Amino acid sequence: MIVRIKNAKVYDPTNKVDGRIKDIFIKDGKIIKRPNPKEKISQVINLKNKIVMPGGIDIHSHIAGGKVNLARLLLPEEHRKYLYSSTNNLRSGSGLGTCTSFHIGYKYAKLGYTAVFEPASLPANARSTIIEMSDIPLIDKGCYTVLGNDDFLLNLIQKKTSQKKINDYVAWILTSTKGLGIKIVNPGGINAFKFNQRELDLDAKNKKYGITPRSILKILTKSLIDLKAPHPIHVHGCNLGVPGNVKTTLKQISAVEGKPMHLTHIQYHSYSNEGDRNFSSGAAILAESINKNKNISCDIGQVMFGQTVTTSADTMSQYRNHSFAHPKKWICADIECEAGCGIIPFEYRDKNYVNALQWAIGLELFLLIKDPWRVYLTTDHPNGAAFTAYPRLIKLLMDRSFRNEELEKINKDSQNNSILKSLKREYSLYEIAILTRSGPAKILGLNNIGHLGEGAKADITVYTEHQDKEKMFENPFLVFKDGQIIVKNGTIKKVINGKLYIAEAEYDQSIKKEISIYFEKYIGRKMSSFEIQNQELWDHGLELEQIRCSRNDY
Amino acid sequence: MQSFICPFCSLLCDDIRLEIKNNSFVPLNSNCLILKKSLKRKIKDHFPRIKGKKTTMSIAIEELAKLIKKSKSILFAGMGTDTKGTKVSLDILDKFGGTIDHFSGDSYSKNLKSIQEIGGVYITLAELKNRCDTIIIIETTDQTVPRLFEKYIFPKETINKIKKRKIVYIGSKKPQFLLKNKNRFAFNSIYLNSQNLLNLISQLRQKINNNSLDSTKDKNLTFLFKLLKNTNYGSIILSASELDKDLCDLIINEINLLIQDLNKFTRFAGMFLSGIHHLVTVNEVLLWQTGFPIRTNFSKGYPRHNIDQFSTTRLLAKKEVDLVVWIDSFHEEKITFKKNIKSVLLGIPTHPQKKNADIFIPLGTPGLDHNSHLFRVDKVVSMHLKKIRNISLPSVFEVLSKVKERI
Ligand code: SF4
Ligand SMILES: [Zn+2]
Repeated sequence: MIVRIKNAKVYDPTNKVDGRIKDIFIKDGKIIKRPNPKEKISQVINLKNKIVMPGGIDIHSHIAGGKVNLARLLLPEEHRKYLYSSTNNLRSGSGLGTCTSFHIGYKYAKLGYTAVFEPASLPANARSTIIEMSDIPLIDKGCYTVLGNDDFLLNLIQKKTSQKKINDYVAWILTSTKGLGIKIVNPGGINAFKFNQRELDLDAKNKKYGITPRSILKILTKSLIDLKAPHPIHVHGCNLGVPGNVKTTLKQISAVEGKPMHLTHIQYHSYSNEGDRNFSSGAAILAESINKNKNISCDIGQVMFGQTVTTSADTMSQYRNHSFAHPKKWICADIECEAGCGIIPFEYRDKNYVNALQWAIGLELFLLIKDPWRVYLTTDHPNGAAFTAYPRLIKLLMDRSFRNEELEKINKDSQNNSILKSLKREYSLYEIAILTRSGPAKILGLNNIGHLGEGAKADITVYTEHQDKEKMFENPFLVFKDGQIIVKNGTIKKVINGKLYIAEAEYDQSIKKEISIYFEKYIGRKMSSFEIQNQELWDHGLELEQIRCSRNDY
Repeated sequence: MQSFICPFCSLLCDDIRLEIKNNSFVPLNSNCLILKKSLKRKIKDHFPRIKGKKTTMSIAIEELAKLIKKSKSILFAGMGTDTKGTKVSLDILDKFGGTIDHFSGDSYSKNLKSIQEIGGVYITLAELKNRCDTIIIIETTDQTVPRLFEKYIFPKETINKIKKRKIVYIGSKKPQFLLKNKNRFAFNSIYLNSQNLLNLISQLRQKINNNSLDSTKDKNLTFLFKLLKNTNYGSIILSASELDKDLCDLIINEINLLIQDLNKFTRFAGMFLSGIHHLVTVNEVLLWQTGFPIRTNFSKGYPRHNIDQFSTTRLLAKKEVDLVVWIDSFHEEKITFKKNIKSVLLGIPTHPQKKNADIFIPLGTPGLDHNSHLFRVDKVVSMHLKKIRNISLPSVFEVLSKVKERI
């Protein structure tokens, strides 16, 4: 069966298509160049005056795992505020920032997103996270496994173990936790907090192992390059949220010496400490550095005003901020000699100096980083805001007069301390398509999504053009997943399952002997019960899409 | 010889080896009483039953489907099941309305109130084992999670190279299981009842927050104050089910607040135990699918959660339900029958009350009769358990999926 989409204005940056009227052909869930003359076209969809983009890709959104479930447990009131009834084809659910699994799928699909990546899968929690994900319908998913605070690795680094052996360990953990990528969260800092260290800058030493975040960062960055992993190291740096931390972020960029690194939610790492409140924007200097260092990609972690909840593996930072909890309750946990978890409910208020400036800093970064291929649109859901705020965020980027109106509303001192008003840039639709589709696919090393060329999955979002970009992006006219119409005019038409992207790496299996001894001696369980098997995921109805570690552009 | 992940409590020990002797299993390397007792059960018959009389599986399933269709208000109680069993239960409840609760609901609801009010600081088993120089055990015995102590509290080697762990027992009875192992750690005990426990912790918090003992003469208070001041990483282990019912809420709240206070200057965390029926597994699935823990109702088409209103005891006493589906695939927990409320038991074939239920459907046990996923007590780790027995007993998922097809 072949479907022809005709007359649509297509934005497909990977294939350099910038608003051209163009036909798209779908066959067996994939995009084909054109049918051969003998094949019959069974359906023609005329999309005159419509805009077509590949399905959206969220590179960093906390959609599953123990931390999300703990946040749900902590905040029944948030769930009572947002209740969703079951219908003929949809399940019931609740919540916004910690929205329940089925509705995460429904909501993303309704926004035209077809692939979302969970960025903080703790190794010990990976199985649980993936089983939870099997209940998120409609979208493709994937996880980044968290490393950099596990005692096993820190011990290897302390002993000056060879890079090769460390690579074997990284490959083992990536494949046995079914991750697509590796994320570092506050390198060494979560571990240091277990020894009651309350801060750890890039060159400070972890009390137990005597090693620095810089060394962990360098070694893991190199590991992923050596392994030819699909996605370079995904980094949540040191000193999240600390005034003046932009200095550390700049040092981190130079620490990797030109090697590829993805810096996540950089808004939280872009603070200077000037002015009488010791809190100011470091966006300009950070953007300048990112513009210069072509090896760096980033996502923003934009803050939007309102109630949300912050969930993070970075217990050191979360504990530091627990007094800002709103409502006044919070959770911290130390986890399995590998990481941790901190949950702080939070309300970003536009009249609060710091919150308002955080909002402005995120936007400054978006507008000052010149290359849209290296910056991606995120709110670090739910940490800066729920992903449902994306249409509004897109409007802020595309519409300067709207942006300036919104700027007028925030805390006056924050306005005065931001250069936002002077920034004239307005994103084009083509650039938005890069930020939300082509860019993330490219940095994730996934070549069958994020574009509409031959061989791509037929994940397609069709918008109705609208002066008001928020209206345009919040209500796609049609969404296709694997060639099937899943959303029409804001209604879910069909519920299907997306796939789970996982990385496949080869490595020297002899490392497993040592890991196995470590597990039995210290972790108190068997390595074999830790390793996730494909079969158990298939049992939960998950289809896997294996990406070989063979990236060749590092 | 068969290696085995034990499904009989939420510790999920994966180091068990079994000897197989004509379809019965004997543990070779563990004396855990719960494990031994569970494996000893001799299955004489595994017929489904209607009002005590043997019937076929398809008739029993058909009858259950009829009851569910007819019911105005269903309760899924007990919920001794795994992830897939929970999923299918929720799927049915979402369509037909009704409530979900759990065997451990009463004691858990005390923990829950405190979490929903103030949060908490927690720890997982490997952290407990490797970090803690001090562990305070409150009203907990080796009956709830028997091997917790040998595996995670008295380990030979730890990452932190702890030399002599300090263990303090606080509770009403002498902890024989600790006294037996006394030479393996520095041991102290404080014997008191729940009321005095509450007072002790409140006073301790006050002293800790003032950073001074003032002129107290209370030797327990002085001892604990000094101990905590010198702790690098400590934890409190507690089972709510052992505490006085009326004071339980308050005690748990005070303990959570004490742990928060201690983290201002050192590291400290809590671990709350939750019984043998895998409450954690059921709760985790509930949370991600509905946003709420157990005691959630779906009769209005969306989830409503209320710890008091949706308790099994209350719903049965007030006759607010007309059908109870008890699920127990691990043990033989005693269940209650009420006049004018239909009772269905999905339970293991040896369940002593199987003849008393309106419908009985025999179940296999996860990890014995079918592959399964279960969550460990600390909520973080989940295990994949594999089938080792072949007597064709179905899982909750299989039974309820068939029921679902018929309604
Ligand atoms: S402690 Fe629990 S999991 Fe371990 S063997 Fe005993 S019953 Fe089984
Ligand atoms: Zn994040």
